[in-house]
Formats: sequence, structure tokens, C-alpha cells
Amino acid sequence: MAAPGAIAEVTEAHADYARAARRNRLLGFGKGVAAYVVLTVFAAIALIPFVYLLSPSFRKSYELLTFPPQWIPHSLYTGNFHHVLHGTSYPRWALNTLIFAGSVTAVTLVIDTLAGYAFARLRFPGRSLIFALVIATLMIPTAAVVAPLYIMISRLPGWTHSGVNTYPGLILPMVCSPLGVFMMRQFISTLPEALVEAARLDGAGEWQIFRKIVLPLMKPAIVVLGIFTFMFQWVNFLWPLVITTTDNMKTLTVGIASLQGQFVTDWGVISAASVMTIFPMIVVFLIFQRWFVQASMAGALKQ
Amino acid sequence: MSAEAAERAWDELTLSPAEYRRAGARYRQRRSVRAYLFVVPYLVPFLAFLVVPLFWSIWLSFNQGGLLDSAKFIGLKNWRVIGADTELTTSIKNTAIYAAEAIFLVFTLALFLALLLNRYRRGSNFYKLALYVPLLAPAVLVGLIWQFVTNYDFGLINVALVHLGIGRVNIFGNGTSALLAIVGAEVWRGLGFWTLYFLASLQNIPEELLDAARVDGARGFQRFRRVTVPLLRPMLLFAVVIAIIANFQVFDTVYVLTQGGPYLSTSTLVWFIWKRLFAFQQTGQGYAAAVLLLAIILVLTAVSFWLLGSRRRRRTREA
Repeated sequence: MAAPGAIAEVTEAHADYARAARRNRLLGFGKGVAAYVVLTVFAAIALIPFVYLLSPSFRKSYELLTFPPQWIPHSLYTGNFHHVLHGTSYPRWALNTLIFAGSVTAVTLVIDTLAGYAFARLRFPGRSLIFALVIATLMIPTAAVVAPLYIMISRLPGWTHSGVNTYPGLILPMVCSPLGVFMMRQFISTLPEALVEAARLDGAGEWQIFRKIVLPLMKPAIVVLGIFTFMFQWVNFLWPLVITTTDNMKTLTVGIASLQGQFVTDWGVISAASVMTIFPMIVVFLIFQRWFVQASMAGALKQ
Repeated sequence: MSAEAAERAWDELTLSPAEYRRAGARYRQRRSVRAYLFVVPYLVPFLAFLVVPLFWSIWLSFNQGGLLDSAKFIGLKNWRVIGADTELTTSIKNTAIYAAEAIFLVFTLALFLALLLNRYRRGSNFYKLALYVPLLAPAVLVGLIWQFVTNYDFGLINVALVHLGIGRVNIFGNGTSALLAIVGAEVWRGLGFWTLYFLASLQNIPEELLDAARVDGARGFQRFRRVTVPLLRPMLLFAVVIAIIANFQVFDTVYVLTQGGPYLSTSTLVWFIWKRLFAFQQTGQGYAAAVLLLAIILVLTAVSFWLLGSRRRRRTREA
């Protein structure tokens, strides 16, 4: 039988504990609210410029200069979009971008998978030397080699005219990213070697092994490299800027940048062109989001 | 079968050491040829468009002209000239300041957001997606979108300032704020990427370590300071090097936002290279600056691999 005093002490301790727990819960709740407020603010900062971009694209350009600004347009003015489609070469730029980024991606996927397989699983003299070269050049930017590339392309042999303003001139120098080979080699190295050995013992040739055993297992890596390469060329600016001079051969990045005038800039048109460029990309992203995130993480080495 | 016949059959089946060696060599040769067939499709463009231009770039730095006409060898003159070229030193200084500001800001914010997302998982998918969206826009477009935030007449910042009764500021009117505007564009674009990157690294930290610290009575900040930070350090160092490499190439936003102005205050290394080369005058200095960029990137690449290697070495030592 405990003394009455002891019981009172225990009850008090209980009450203390309950109070502390309540305070902790309250504090935790407060912290949680604060955390979500902060996260929401940053999400808003990330998204608001895109939404804000919509407003001038549906207004006449001079209305941008009125104050206080009129966020919601009176009526939807579609003249900017009309101008982008008919007054500029926008459709052609979009097509060029698709051809450029698409071709670079297609070629890169083929040659990088093949080379990645060879570096990971095949033996040949000079393998480590060549691979060391690939590693060393992993992060060389276009800017560092842009002059020789320009000289090469502008005097491509076998062309009656130079490679400036041609698709091959635009595409070819961009297909040799070492990062893709590196990614592919790393991925293939993680595949169980026993699979390849088993196929080899069964009498499969190297090509058959690659085609029937390795390639099917590489699907995820190929998707990731594909998205990564496409995104990388889709945002490419310096090389298209250097190698295209005619309006018809520009890519979207170069074309839209050229809409910015020397003295007067039609911001309505620029915002319309930006909206047309970025919103389809956001839709594609929302559909394939999982892959996008993986691709950009895989590219952590480059970006 | 007689013993003699059996021996003959055996002899036919087996190879003498010399024959064996020859067969081995033949096999290896065939194997190498096949392997080369896999590598050559990549090797040709790799050599043609990366390795050769790399050495060519170095060679060009001793030349003048060459973009529109044929190059003329002038020895070390370019290097002597750019040594005294204040435009280049300014550009390099600007690039370094820009990179330092951008990396500091984006890393601080991204680490903070990653810690929040790591702790509060509910709904974190939405926040991750939202933060990622700016990354979809090419840097050129980010620059143009940024104009709608920073423009003197209609930028969000100035509209807000007028509403607050402060009055407009010309962000691109002075060098410090113009460079900060470019930093802002980069931070806005890169925040989502680095947040996801740090989040991935945080989720790699073994839960047991944090639990052990908690049992030992370490409070939230102590756990962060004594457990999380030391475990993140190698990854952070690597990320810093990668970010320096990426940020040293800043060009697109400079092109659309400031064109290097006012008075060279936002001229960066790649902007300098581009301007010297493709104005088709003073190309020699452009060549030399390109080699400088090449050297910086190569050194940083080596450092990043050294860091990766030291992390791996530590891990194997611990194992």
C-alpha cells in the first residue's frame, strides 16, 4: 500500500508529462505548419513566373506599360500568338528543334549503348586508355572547342557549300557526349556477368548476346539517357547560335532570343512564343515525370 | 579400339602448345576486332568532334584568324596580350563572383528545402514537381521569363516596389545588381534540381545513425550538425565542384539579359570567348581564353573524380 503522498506525486508527474506532451505536439504542429508554408512559398516562386507569362501573352504589348498593371486581360487578345505563328518562323524553329534534338538523341542512343557495352564487357587492346580519354573529356564544354568545330563544319569536305546552316552541321558535332557512354558503361557493369557468360557458353556470338540478352535489360537506362540527351539539346543555345545564320535554320532557343530587338522588343510576342514553347514541355513532363527526375539525376555529372 | 588408335585420335583432338598459342591469338584477335566494331561508331565522332578539336583549340591559341580565312601562326602573342587584357580578367572575376553567389544561394536554399521535404513527406511529391518545373525551360527562355520579373517598366519586382511606394529601381543599370539578376535566374532554374539531389543524398543516410543519436539524447539541430552534415560532406564537396563546372559556362542568360553590360560588369568567360570569336575580330584572344576555360574545366574534372575516388576509398576502408 503506497502512501497517499506518493500517489499524489505520481498523478502530478502524469499531469506534467501530459502537459509536456501536449506542448510538444503543439510545437510539432506549429513547426509542420511553418514547414508547409515555406515549401508552398518556394513552390509558388517556381511556378508564378510561368503563370505571370500567360498574362502578357494575351494582352497587347503596349498594355504592359500601364500602371497599375492589369493582370487579368479584359478580353483574350490572340494577336501575339497569331504573330508568332505567321509573322515569325516559329513553326520552322520548332521543327528544327525536333529534328536537331531528335537526331542527336537517336544517334547518341545507338552509338553510346554499343560503346558502353564494349567498355563494360568486351576485351580489346587500348580499352582502358580510350576509356580514360572518355572520362577526361567528360565535362568539356562546347565553348572550349567551339572554334575548331566551327572551322571544321564550315569547311566540311564533300560539300559543295559549307556545313553552316545545314542539319548535319548542326547535329553531327553534338553526338559524341562522353557522358552517355559513361552512363551506359556504368549501367551495363551492374548487370550480372553470369548472364553474358551463360549465353557465350551456349554459343551465342557477341552481337547476339548484345541484342538478345543485354539490350532488353537496358530499357530503363536507354529511356533515361534518351530523355537526358533530348533535354540537353533542347536547351542547347551556343552551338545552334554559332552554326545557324539564316532564320530558317534556327532552333527555338536561338529563334526566340532573336525576337528580342536591338531597340524595341515586342514583349507580348516574346511571352506568347515562350508560352507556346514551355507549356507543351510541361505537359510532357507531367506525363513522364518519374523518368525526367531520374534522367536529370543521372546527369548530375554534367549539369 | 586399340590403344594406338586411341592415342592418335587424342593427338588429333588436342593441340600442341604452339598450336594452342596460335589458336588463342587468333581467338583474341577475332574478339578484339568484334569489340572494335562495337566501339568504332562512337569513337569516330568522339575523336573527330571532341578529341581533335581539343588539341586543335590549343594549337589555335598560337594563331590569329582562321574562322573565315586560314589561320596565321603568331607564336605566344595571344597569350601575352590576354595576360594584360583587363576585359578578360574582369570577365573571369565576374564569372567567379557569379558562380560563388549562385552556388552559395542555391545550395543553402536547396539544402534547407531538402531537409524539409525529407522530414515532411506528406504531399512532398507535389512540391518536388513544382520545384522541378523551371528546369524544363532552356536557360535562354529562363532569361526572357526573368525579364518579366526584373524589367524596369513591367517587371514583377518593380511593380511590387511601386505598390509599396518605394519607386522603381533599374536592376540592369548597375553592375552588382545586374550580375545578381543573372544569379537569380540561375538560382530559380537550378533550385529544383539541387533540392532533389540533396533529398536523394539525405535519404541515403542510414536511419539507424539518426535513431542512435536520438536515443543518445541529441536534439534536432545537434543531429543535423553532428550526424547529417559529416555524412553529407563528401557528397557536398562533389556537388560544389560539379556546380562550379556548370556555372563557369554561364552564357545563355548573359546573352538575353545583359549582353555583358553595363560596362562589362556582367561579361563572363564564355561571353568573352563568344564575343571575341564570332565578332570575327581579335579571334586570337578568343582562342586563348577558350584554352583557359578548357584548363579550368579539366582541372575541376580531375578534382571531382579525386573526390569520388576518396569517397569510395573511405567506404572500402570502413567495410
